[in-house]
Amino acid sequence: MTQAHQGGAHGWTGARKGVLSRLRFTSLRLRLVVVFGLVALTAAVSASAIAYWLNREAVLTRTQDAVLRDFEQEMQNRAGALPERPTQDELQHTAGQMAGSDQRFSVLLVGRDTEGRTVYGSSGGLNGFSLRDVPKSLRTAVNRTQKVDGANKYPYHLYWQRIVDHDTPYLVAGTRVIGGGPTGYMLKSLEPEAKDLNSLAWSLGIATGLALIGSALLAQAAATTVLKPVQRLGTAARRLGEGKLDTRLRVSGTDELADLSRTFNYAAEALEKRVEDMAARDEASRRFVADMSHELRTPLTAITAVTEILEEELEAETGSMDPMIEPAVRLVVSETRRLNDLVENLMEVTRFDAGTARLVLDDVDLADQITACIDARAWLDAVELDAERGLHARLDPRRLDVILANLIGNALKHGGSPVRVSVREADDSIVIEVQDHGPGIPEDVLPHVFDRFYKASASRPRSEGSGLGLSIALENAHIHGGEITAANSPDSGAVFTLRLPRGTSPAEEQPAEDELGQDSGTDRPQGEDSKGDA
Amino acid sequence: MGQNERVPSLLLIEDDDAIRTALELSLTRQGHRVATAASGEDGLKLLREQRPDLIVLDVMLPGIDGFEVCRRIRRTDQLPIILLTARSDDIDVVVGLESGADDYVVKPIQGRVLDARIRAVLRRGERESTDAASFGSLVIDRAAMTVTKNGEDLQLTPTELRLLLELSRRPGQALSRQQLLRLVWEHDYLGDSRLVDACVQRLRAKVEDVPSSPTLIRTVRGVGYRLDAPQ
Repeated sequence: MTQAHQGGAHGWTGARKGVLSRLRFTSLRLRLVVVFGLVALTAAVSASAIAYWLNREAVLTRTQDAVLRDFEQEMQNRAGALPERPTQDELQHTAGQMAGSDQRFSVLLVGRDTEGRTVYGSSGGLNGFSLRDVPKSLRTAVNRTQKVDGANKYPYHLYWQRIVDHDTPYLVAGTRVIGGGPTGYMLKSLEPEAKDLNSLAWSLGIATGLALIGSALLAQAAATTVLKPVQRLGTAARRLGEGKLDTRLRVSGTDELADLSRTFNYAAEALEKRVEDMAARDEASRRFVADMSHELRTPLTAITAVTEILEEELEAETGSMDPMIEPAVRLVVSETRRLNDLVENLMEVTRFDAGTARLVLDDVDLADQITACIDARAWLDAVELDAERGLHARLDPRRLDVILANLIGNALKHGGSPVRVSVREADDSIVIEVQDHGPGIPEDVLPHVFDRFYKASASRPRSEGSGLGLSIALENAHIHGGEITAANSPDSGAVFTLRLPRGTSPAEEQPAEDELGQDSGTDRPQGEDSKGDA
Repeated sequence: MGQNERVPSLLLIEDDDAIRTALELSLTRQGHRVATAASGEDGLKLLREQRPDLIVLDVMLPGIDGFEVCRRIRRTDQLPIILLTARSDDIDVVVGLESGADDYVVKPIQGRVLDARIRAVLRRGERESTDAASFGSLVIDRAAMTVTKNGEDLQLTPTELRLLLELSRRPGQALSRQQLLRLVWEHDYLGDSRLVDACVQRLRAKVEDVPSSPTLIRTVRGVGYRLDAPQ
């Protein structure tokens, strides 16, 4: 239950991590797009604004200049020709004439008739252009008499103003005829110009939009050119981390990313070389140990064969040997045996190191095997065995014997008897526990018990085995796909727990030997490639 | 029993002087007659001159190696052969067994172990019962210690013969490799089951019609082997 829950939580975390990493991955892309967009937007908007403003000024000024020039002209030619105190009809007529010019503006003439009444003449009749349409400020400016001096030759000037009425822009201007006469106003709709400018604004807006889209696409392209190599670099770095040291990047171009790729390649090459060097040195030293133990074995074989003769001599009737020489012979015999064990263990270790150790699997009755192991070493009195008969497993009997002999031997040596060996099944594996009743293993030694030649203290007597026993036991468990753990029992003493898979999985199982009709090699033993590489 | 009283003669082929001398010393002390050779070629020559009862053969030899010597002997002779091997090379054991060796001893060699193996191998040739059994075209004559197939004599080594005898004594019953190791090779509980496999392989090559699809000596998966009379 808890397991399932944890599993789910783990999965969720994993999924979230994935999403996050993708977001983080795209964030560079996102940032690039945003920056490109901002740059494009700023550039396009400011360019458009400047273009629009300049255009607007140019268009308006040109229209306005033309209109005002025309109006001025008309005022001089037509309104100037009116009598000083014109009648309503005269004003009306003249206003109509003036409005008939090319520029199509409305005209309002304001004058005083002979009776001193203010009279109006408008080009559009009484409903057309009236004084109400003229802003007050303009009227004031137009009617103000200015001082005539060197800098200002005329008492009245032409004034103009742009107004907006019902969303339509207009140009209003007014002036007085110098030397007495009516005041003239004109109203010119700027709608065509406004329309032109509007469509210009639209065009500029569309251009800005296009520029934005273009910049986004460019940003995408740029991001891709940057991110692709980055992604490749990431993949390569991951592969390198996984131990594929021959990973190299293809370097193309001369940009910074190419530089980075080149640097990566140099680093990978250096790393590979270094690892190779170390592996070679390691290999050389292993080779040396292997060669040395081989070389030691030849003389040792001769010595061992002869030592037995000496041994038999010792076991024979006493008195057949010089009492002075007997201890010497005994020492030679026992030390030769020790040397034998040491060399044998060294060879075993080098086999594991070189990966040449092989399993020779057989169907093993565990209780029988353990009993035989204990019996063969005369440990029956010192070991309590708790194992039900009929528990079978597919194992290498010799290697199981090595493991058991080392674990039990170690327990007897350090813990003292009685040593309890229990066997039980757990799922698909066999669990063998070896528990002694000694003082246990100090906490600081516990992580090192399987180290080669590890001595708990320098003062420990040297005659306590080769220092390879537990290491070899562990390697033998590993080659089975099993494990040995060391711990202290809550009661007392150390507990070594050996866990071995019960049988080979179907994949490892040899094909049926004869019925398949295979010839030589099929009956070749269930040896399989070493799995432990230590 | 008369055979036991005769001192068995051995041929020891070993290139290392010290090991050769030491083993000769040790084996002579155990009561064997020992002839020695320092190389495979010398050994083969000596084999032709005097017929030993058994050959103790080192694997690592200058010139032709132990496996080749073993193969050459097997071509003409069913003489028992015990290999001296270095256990470091598990492959050695397999190759050695395939080239026809009956047993092997791992260096460094304890004289007593070698002696026990030699005696066990020599015992295989002894006759014990006096009946005959037939399995299809295969006839095992326990009195004459001969095996005939379709009336033709088969050349079996003592080990192969002993294996066939042990299997034929319990027809239809599966024997585990460990059981066979104890019965035929007289090994202890740590016997190498590859000895059985290699010997079964060689035996099949001689007694089966089609060695690759055996009908007599059947493999019982997870257990061992069984001798079946063909249906």
